[in-house]
Amino acid sequence: MIVDGAQQEHALDEAFDYVVVGSGAAGATAAKVLSEAAASVAVVEDGPAIGTAQFRDQGFHTMRTLYRDGGAQITRGKAAIPVFQGRCLGGSTVVNSAIMWRLPDDVWATWRDGHGLGDALPLEALHSNWDRIERDLSVAPTPEEVWGGNNRLMAAAGAALGVRTAPMRRAVVACHGSARCQSGCPYGAKQSMALTYLPQAEARGAVLYVNAPADRVVMRGDRAETVTGRFAAGPPFRLHARRGVVVAASAIQTPGLLRRSGVRSPHLGRHFQAHPGASLVGVFDDPVGLWHGATQGFESDEHRVDGRFKVESVSVAPEFLMASLPGVGAPWLDWIGRADRMAMWAVDLRAHAEGRIGEGRAGPGIRFDLERRDAANLRAALAFVAEMLFAAGARSVLPGVHGLPEAIERPEDARLLREGPLDPRAYSMAMTHLFGTARMSVRPEAGVVGPDFAVHGTPNLYVVDSSVFPTNTGVNPQLSIMGLAMLAASRMVETRDG
Amino acid sequence: MIDTVLPGGAHPELPGAFDAGFPGFWEEFEATAPRRLRLGFRVGVLAATWVAPVLIGRPPPLGLYGRATRERALVAMASSRSPVLRSLLGIVKLVAALGYGAAPEVRRAIGYGGARP
Repeated sequence: MIVDGAQQEHALDEAFDYVVVGSGAAGATAAKVLSEAAASVAVVEDGPAIGTAQFRDQGFHTMRTLYRDGGAQITRGKAAIPVFQGRCLGGSTVVNSAIMWRLPDDVWATWRDGHGLGDALPLEALHSNWDRIERDLSVAPTPEEVWGGNNRLMAAAGAALGVRTAPMRRAVVACHGSARCQSGCPYGAKQSMALTYLPQAEARGAVLYVNAPADRVVMRGDRAETVTGRFAAGPPFRLHARRGVVVAASAIQTPGLLRRSGVRSPHLGRHFQAHPGASLVGVFDDPVGLWHGATQGFESDEHRVDGRFKVESVSVAPEFLMASLPGVGAPWLDWIGRADRMAMWAVDLRAHAEGRIGEGRAGPGIRFDLERRDAANLRAALAFVAEMLFAAGARSVLPGVHGLPEAIERPEDARLLREGPLDPRAYSMAMTHLFGTARMSVRPEAGVVGPDFAVHGTPNLYVVDSSVFPTNTGVNPQLSIMGLAMLAASRMVETRDG
Repeated sequence: MIDTVLPGGAHPELPGAFDAGFPGFWEEFEATAPRRLRLGFRVGVLAATWVAPVLIGRPPPLGLYGRATRERALVAMASSRSPVLRSLLGIVKLVAALGYGAAPEVRRAIGYGGARP
């Protein structure tokens, strides 16, 4: 059952075994596992439920209806970086490109060796979960018939340069190649949580409350008892948790919810890590067809470890491509007029920088500043992408970096990017992958959440989203998040049964 | 402002923002855009009006000048040493693009929704 808080006229007071806050990758996975174990489950989602038929391919509408803060959430720091998060039933899985990466072994090794989490997060158990999730969501490499020009050119670049590239592994069934993942798949092909784990949990009795922003978890002693909030229509709700409260509100929202609930830890809201990204546009002689093919169908992890970045093809709606093009007036129109011959590839940077999430009257405040070494990695990454675009046949590359020419025409000029500014304000960045603000630790002094995913000192208040990750991952995190959430929920079930 | 950013008659295939129905988008934007974006756009327009001309040695406001000079002033703002000015112009361009890029005639002209190449 879905209960829409925008239509609720009366206060609500209900009890469940578990109350899950957040319906994205983590919350949906926890809800599915718990409901499969015959627990009664409520899922509380801040945003609305938007059906496949309601998705539109217009950027402004999409921003307003599917993204947090209407797509206007930004970091506060030296550079204001947009932070994109879904705010709807299914969370960011509705608006991402369904890219599925297992947590790399080298990253897991740093969690084991640097944070002592080898026993808490056994790799074998995680792989077993990932096996299951990949089966459930039909994860497979992007099939060639939906590569489209943007993705195909990256394959060509890899072959020309001898660089490792591969079709992305994605959670999609019968992709139409509409390049519209980020405004909600209009064909229901993307296996978002709104189409998979949430309906499966619902079928087992879970109640999905949408337009229902949770305000706090009411505690009694060391027990989490009740999730309270106010429906979008105004009346309050109180959802009592007989067994546990599961927080999966995202690395941005979770710290505030825990703070308002009385959780105190010097690590709460700290250690915020992310993958800032920036994109380059290549202009080709022939039509590319940026809007034909999988939104993000190809990638290169050639420098994932040594350069801390990954390269991804990306197709954005025409509005956002236009906004990224240089010039004003007639020169801007000149570039817009060549949009059909453009390819767009982006860098995901595994930044060293740590920021923090504070609380303001208008919601969370995200403080984040790239470190100098991150900026150095970013410019190296962009130079690499420029070389790839030229290798694929681009006539010019638009760096989008202040202080550099608006277009570079020769492959050797990729060096301009490599020698580019170290001031992050010179770059147009965006962030999507968010981690670490309630990190897991064996000792309470070192983190917020224990190896059992429960907040230290509060045995039935669990955090299962990427807040608990001790570091960023350097790869698209959805599958990692789901694997950890599945582990957490399975342990809750075992604990209950034990 | 929008007519300077995306002028009519400046491209053989692309209309200007006003011919592409920007006023209709603007009504929707004013009514429904996130507060932060609306505020950013207003401040951006203010800066473009009163600061951009100064960057090319002309007294403000921007509306005093013909299209070529207005365009030159905004280009100067786009490449200004001030990150704040650059960001503000970026917001003006983003809002312009949100309206313009959704227009069917613009999308047709750039190959959106057309046949696969």
